[in-house]
Amino acid sequence: MSEKKDKKILGSFLRNISAYLIAILLAFGVFSILVALMGFDVFKALRTLTTTSFKSYFGFQETVKKTIPLIFTTYAFNIPFMIKFFNIGGWGQMLMGGAVATVVGLSLAPLNLPAIVLIPLLLISGILAGGLFALIAGYLKAKHDINPIISTIMLNFVAALFVNFVATAPPFKDPLEGHPITKPLPKSATLPFIGGIPSSIIFAILAIIFVYILIKKTRLGYEITAVGYNLFAAQTYGINFAKTIMLTFFIGGALAGLGGALEIMTIHGKLIEGFAKTSGAQYGIFGVLTCLIVGGNPIGVPIAAFLMSVLLVGADALQRTMQIPVELVFLSQALIVLFIVVIRKKFSVRR
Amino acid sequence: MNKEIFVELRNVRKTFGEVVALDNVNFSVRKGEIRGLLGENGAGKSTLMNILYGLYRPDKGQIFIEGKEVKIRSPFDSIKLGIGMVHQVSTLVPEFTAVENIMLGTPEDKFTLPLKKESNRIKKMAEELGFEFPLNVKVRELSAGVKQKIEIVRALYRGAKLLILDEPTTSLVESEFQQLLKSLKMLVKKGVTVIFITHKIREVMEACDSVTVLRRGKVQGTLERNEMSKENLVKLMFMEKEIKVNESALPKVELPEVEKSKEPVCIVKSIEVEASEKTPGLKNVSFEVYGGEIFGIASVSGNGEKELAEAMIKPSILKSGDIIINGESIKGLPTLKVFSKGVFYTPEDRIKEGILPDGSIKENVLLGHHAEKRFLKRNVFIDWNEVKRVSERVVRDYNVFTPNVEIAIRKLSGGNIQKVIIGRAFVNPIDFLVTHNPTSGLDISTVEFIFKKLVEIRGKGGAILWINEDLDELMILSDRIGVIHKGELKGIFNRDEFDKYKIGLLMIGG
Repeated sequence: MSEKKDKKILGSFLRNISAYLIAILLAFGVFSILVALMGFDVFKALRTLTTTSFKSYFGFQETVKKTIPLIFTTYAFNIPFMIKFFNIGGWGQMLMGGAVATVVGLSLAPLNLPAIVLIPLLLISGILAGGLFALIAGYLKAKHDINPIISTIMLNFVAALFVNFVATAPPFKDPLEGHPITKPLPKSATLPFIGGIPSSIIFAILAIIFVYILIKKTRLGYEITAVGYNLFAAQTYGINFAKTIMLTFFIGGALAGLGGALEIMTIHGKLIEGFAKTSGAQYGIFGVLTCLIVGGNPIGVPIAAFLMSVLLVGADALQRTMQIPVELVFLSQALIVLFIVVIRKKFSVRR
Repeated sequence: MNKEIFVELRNVRKTFGEVVALDNVNFSVRKGEIRGLLGENGAGKSTLMNILYGLYRPDKGQIFIEGKEVKIRSPFDSIKLGIGMVHQVSTLVPEFTAVENIMLGTPEDKFTLPLKKESNRIKKMAEELGFEFPLNVKVRELSAGVKQKIEIVRALYRGAKLLILDEPTTSLVESEFQQLLKSLKMLVKKGVTVIFITHKIREVMEACDSVTVLRRGKVQGTLERNEMSKENLVKLMFMEKEIKVNESALPKVELPEVEKSKEPVCIVKSIEVEASEKTPGLKNVSFEVYGGEIFGIASVSGNGEKELAEAMIKPSILKSGDIIINGESIKGLPTLKVFSKGVFYTPEDRIKEGILPDGSIKENVLLGHHAEKRFLKRNVFIDWNEVKRVSERVVRDYNVFTPNVEIAIRKLSGGNIQKVIIGRAFVNPIDFLVTHNPTSGLDISTVEFIFKKLVEIRGKGGAILWINEDLDELMILSDRIGVIHKGELKGIFNRDEFDKYKIGLLMIGG
């Protein structure tokens, strides 16, 4: 019996792996055709795309740098997605987290608080800002049945304008910069790099552990899972749907907000208009893609986020060294997701 | 009888994963007869007919119609071959009228619908069968029985020579069943062949010219009308099992004398629930349920019985009135608080409302108990070890057939799922069980098991509110039966006053 079960688990594991491999191969196939049509060297392009992250320590650092915010925006999408709601606002929540953390950091700068006070304070303000900002969408869904896809997309604009507002507001704006950029945060409000790796990785790891424990071990996680499995049964047996919606949005937004605060405190040291982007595209969208790749399973998020970042770093390198536009890589990333979704459906359909 | 064969299935085999749903099935039906297809749930009846209708493809096997081999790849093919199917659940578009529904997808469904011309034809077809239904009212406003008539006419309109009815009596009361029988006889006279899928022996005995019995994907035998008897059919259906049945071919379970509690466990005081498009709500309903009593509620589906069940565990839907449990009002309490007063619930639709299909048995047993101290550590974390221990006890006590409690519950059969749902209700000792159609669609041995459980709980002084679509079942086990029609409690019968026709008449408002 147990041998048979092992075989079954192995079978489904192999099936999953092969689904991913097929999807990636198909997407790379399309990518190669387009690259060839545009007259570039296909093999060199594929090699650059997949190996830049591992060829130099710098490439690896860059990959980790992108992985960290991506983990946060992926969870921002993933947690409401567990109850089948789309939080497209991961980017906006990340912006709010970064902007509010900056406001707090710059406002407290004259007090010369020590790092041990300032850093937790900024992190918490980022968490609350992102969480409360997402809660708007959660509340609108729970109380007024407004589709969160719409509200979160709209709120992204609000957040982008809020960043602009903070970065141009006289008390914060750096008078020496032409662009909307704030003065730098005090040193005691920033987080260091350790051996070229941003120390915010510690918080990303904590976030992964937090999500794992939340989903697998807590009552709230059980309620979220139950609503995701079957809303009607969950409601019949006393789970409060409105509360669950609002909590999932708050937690998702809080993680994005934390990610935003960390971006400011580690990478930029100040608020810059249009931060939380990579190769010109928002982390929010990549978070959606990453979550869809792992099929909404929060445990697979860090791996998928890392692989996604490998492709993003490869895309930058392609643009730099071969003048292949990054959009072509975005295209193949989107194709990977589409193929995975299709293949997974095919595998799961039994009849 | 020596009529020619209309349809024949030869050596049909169908597997779903490792499960063999049909194993070398041979099945043929003569022109112009009503053939019963009888078997427990999961015996393969619907699978076999879904193959004939083109919804499933067989792994192997052949289909012959009037002697010619045919390939049926989709319902599109089968409709062209003159096969019509009426499914257990209505497949009509609720927002369309009867005429629109009937014409949908037919060659008459052109750029514009010739509604006037065709409604006359449809009306005539319906009248010939003795059917009467409004042609130009949106279908969602019609009862299940009327919808079924529309579906039958739709099949005939598309030229069906063979009509497959999948468990057609699920939502019909006695008088509607008799009416359906008459119409089927009329159809047969016109040369239409009927296949009647059911798990109820009584219906086969009343309706069918011959019957084929399936068990675990195999044909157990085909009996002609003169060979049919309750004993024969029970034997073919269950073979090794020894189950006593009553005259309706339901399990015979004794209802022993039990002393009722002095005070009622539950008092329902003139409760009202708002009416809506789909339901008449509840109007001024009052009754009591005592400890050691099974109080049955008989009603035709959609008459407020669902709201009654819901009000018991979600009293916030009450517009007025009060519900008292063990002397305390539960008005306005959330469901989990109601559960904490010693109440539990098993819902009507076990798949849709009762389980988390992809969740494990463990996760399913926890549902509704997830806020209880015994399953929590430090109020936040779930004590999965305790959940596992309790789930294993449920599996043991309720004979749930499963290798372990980690398995996704959707992989279990309907009967085993229902056992988990009922087991979950008794994770804690409770005073009051509200149960809605607990036996619906289950095989007779599981029904017997559930009956015995209800009697056992009653014997221990528990109070049970049993809302059930099947009056025959209610009459076996209830101490009293209340009848609900259009949201009103029309009467309460004591056990010595039970009369199927009197109660049935009240159920349809007569």
